[in-house]
Amino acid sequence: MSNKSASVWTSIRFWRRSAAWVTATAVVLLMWLTFDTVKQISMGSDEDLKKGIRKRIPAPTVINYHIDYKFSKKRGHEVPVIGQKEPFFGKEWSPKEAAALLHKGKLTFQAKACIDCHTALGNGAYYAPDLTKAWLDPKWNNGTMTAMIGKKTKEEAMAEFLMHPDKYPTHGRMMPNLHITKDEAIALVAFLKHMSSIDTNGFPRNFSINAKRLKGGTNAH
Amino acid sequence: MIIQPFTDVNPSFFGMLNQGPLTLTIFLHTVLILPMIWIYFDEKKKLQNKK
Repeated sequence: MSNKSASVWTSIRFWRRSAAWVTATAVVLLMWLTFDTVKQISMGSDEDLKKGIRKRIPAPTVINYHIDYKFSKKRGHEVPVIGQKEPFFGKEWSPKEAAALLHKGKLTFQAKACIDCHTALGNGAYYAPDLTKAWLDPKWNNGTMTAMIGKKTKEEAMAEFLMHPDKYPTHGRMMPNLHITKDEAIALVAFLKHMSSIDTNGFPRNFSINAKRLKGGTNAH
Repeated sequence: MIIQPFTDVNPSFFGMLNQGPLTLTIFLHTVLILPMIWIYFDEKKKLQNKK
């Protein structure tokens, strides 16, 4: 009887202290996690790029660099590798110009509702190819698309494709003509190039293996 | 191995916790539940002293 009256489980103080402890700890941890996440997803600067400091999301000026996608043994998946400088649409874009171009690209991406069919960074549909690493699709590198479209560089071919997608059906499907202007197309290509440089911890999985197996095209199966 | 080398791009405390089997979940449960066991025995002692 005496033991029963001393039960902690019926003690209001015990539950009150436990609840206070759990709530306080959760508040602190969530605040810490929030600041940690903000740090992780903050865009790097042009200076970081020049110094070779790797950020998960590089500065918009990453469009002035060659971007490669290589398997990292240490991390167990592919990671974007930012290489030497290469002209983008025949010029080097200043930090201000690059930021404005990327912003226009993002607005166009939203206005044309690309994710109604495509996926970008895990958001969207899987009807059309995943665009997260579209810039790195070997189909644009080995000349297949550039030759078909009749352009010398990858960015020019992509822009032309975006302006008249109905002329170039691929993978047995045809992207509808969304009446994208030349300026919008250039901005969209910049947006896609920047997106491909984002370190997504290897998402989409086995990009290069699938691209090789399907002879280009990402998740367009 | 319970502790594995850190491989993420940006070093972070939570990133470190998420390497291998030593997961964030185990850490959070440890942080929350171990002090609750102490609270339990502390309350028990208080109740017995009051009696």
